[in-house]
Amino acid sequence: MSVTATPPEHHVAYPNVLVGTELGTDRTLAADAVVVGTGAGGASAAARLRAAGLDVLMVEEGGLHRTETFTTDPTTMIQRLYRDAGTSMIFGTPPILFAEGRCVGGSTVINGGMSWRTPARVLEHWERTLQLEATGPGAMEPYFEEAERILHVEPNQEDTWGRNTHLFLDGARALGWPVAQAPRNMRRCVGLNNCALGCPTGAKQAMHVTQVPRALADGAALVTHLRVDRLLWQGTRVVGVRGRIVDDLGRARARVRIHAPLVVLAAGARHTPGILKRSGLRARAIGRGLHTHPNAKCVGIFDERIDPWKGTHQAFHIHRFLDDGILIGYAAVPPGLLAAALPGFGAENAEHMALYNHMLTAATLVEDETEGRVRLGPDRQPFMQQTLGQADVARLHRGVALTAELLFAAGARRVLLPFSDLPALENPGQIGRVTERRPDRGTTELMTVHIMGTARMAADATRGATDASGAVYGTQGLVVADASVLPSSIGVNPQETIIAMTLRNVDRWLATRGLGRRGPQQAATREG
Amino acid sequence: MRILRAAVAAIRPRGHGFDHPIDDAVLAGIEGFLPHLPPPMRLSFPLGLHLLEWAPALVVRRWTRLTRMSESDARAYLERALIAGGPLGALVLGVRTLVLLTFYQHPDVLRTLEVDWAGRRDALVARRAELVKP
Repeated sequence: MSVTATPPEHHVAYPNVLVGTELGTDRTLAADAVVVGTGAGGASAAARLRAAGLDVLMVEEGGLHRTETFTTDPTTMIQRLYRDAGTSMIFGTPPILFAEGRCVGGSTVINGGMSWRTPARVLEHWERTLQLEATGPGAMEPYFEEAERILHVEPNQEDTWGRNTHLFLDGARALGWPVAQAPRNMRRCVGLNNCALGCPTGAKQAMHVTQVPRALADGAALVTHLRVDRLLWQGTRVVGVRGRIVDDLGRARARVRIHAPLVVLAAGARHTPGILKRSGLRARAIGRGLHTHPNAKCVGIFDERIDPWKGTHQAFHIHRFLDDGILIGYAAVPPGLLAAALPGFGAENAEHMALYNHMLTAATLVEDETEGRVRLGPDRQPFMQQTLGQADVARLHRGVALTAELLFAAGARRVLLPFSDLPALENPGQIGRVTERRPDRGTTELMTVHIMGTARMAADATRGATDASGAVYGTQGLVVADASVLPSSIGVNPQETIIAMTLRNVDRWLATRGLGRRGPQQAATREG
Repeated sequence: MRILRAAVAAIRPRGHGFDHPIDDAVLAGIEGFLPHLPPPMRLSFPLGLHLLEWAPALVVRRWTRLTRMSESDARAYLERALIAGGPLGALVLGVRTLVLLTFYQHPDVLRTLEVDWAGRRDALVARRAELVKP
């Protein structure tokens, strides 16, 4: 009998994990540092703090889902890995669909694995214009290098490219647009293209197979299914957190208090300001400055069969228009998810979907200037609001027009658009209709997975919620380590920026406490 | 449930090879999602469905209910509600998303589409295991 080999990520050890739903009664725990959230920022902060010798406790609202349990069924995986089963929304005109992970590893488990550095012009803006010391390209360089080692960043090998990748390249070549080969956090991707539902092959080096198990092996601990509700205070000093164990359906169970002199909030750009607001912080900047990096899809329909589900995810991007705030990429989207993004009901939708294997889905992502907000709802949970301004809508139109141009140049015979009042273009001569159409925001379909800026770093407390190291103004012992701290929209996928900024900030917190980083040979291992 | 069933019948793909008799499975798939919704959405969903049932008078000036409309009339009504936006539009958007997601991911429909992502998963997990073998 032959035994099928399995990848190493199917055998990752997770010591020191307390499954919250197995806790029968209320608990009080203690640590040197509690890290709320296990995504790109939280897991990186936890590993770094543990390496410096602190007793670190990670908490995560979702469960620990092992790589070998990941399937290709969207309904199963979305319910398991996504917050609110993927139904989150940013309110405004138009409403923007929003997805984030709620599982150990956070959104790194469900992202596309893009590992771009923050564009140099953005870093220069932070350092020079916003006067955030040591955030320029030179100062950040070693942190990007370290983030790329942690993430195991590499480009896709050509044997993983599907027909959609070749067509994307053909379109760019025909227009004379240079392409940027996407650096991705993966170890020998084989092109399954299941990134958004968790990578079953283990190739994507998400936090649940990198920083989380590293921190655990080094002696950190993890409590799953713990939703942090509030911070614990002694005057202006934060001394811990309290929250509830929640099951997979969000039902509250046991109460948990964790005492720690250092609290790292890494719950994402929606829930981090939510925790700050619920905990009584009233600073005006908390929750403001929301940027969403909205994404509009265009679908090219080709005569030839593409089989978009065969081949890797986004091996290339177009960065030619990045200085204008426009990024163009492509992706294979499962039929059920793509259908929801296509126009029409009943037979009209069926007519489109009958051509699924002839579709190349491309997207434009725009760097938004409009600032939205995170507020607390009547249920004390955070919700997001943003209505894109005219400049952003114009940029979006231009991005869609450019994307349609690329698809036609690649050979598409029809391009479906994200506008309900202009659902399709039949030939390249019609592209002008996109930029000529009335900038009616309500007729545009948008989604995002890149929110940021809701507890942004600033040189003083009047302009931001956190200081140049991510520490919350007006408090002691409270720092933020997620996309909330990013001072402006960065225009690219934020994963690597979050990790690099977290590493930088943790080093600064450690330096102020007289703690340095230990080498791995000195790392202690604590019994679980 | 009968309101949701009427919405499924109006929204679900038809023709072009997609006449699978799977409305019950689609309905069950949608019900599987509901417990995962955030509490405000979970609690307001039944109220929203009742609003959807009675809103044809507001949206398309028809003095009838969704469950009494023909499929084509119901489809036109829901399309109009979606374009109108607001809470009703958001509800239609959400229901439409769930209907299409559960419909097109049904194994019978995936076979019609000639998409075998699951089979590819098994093959590629084994392939990568070989490629990264120490």
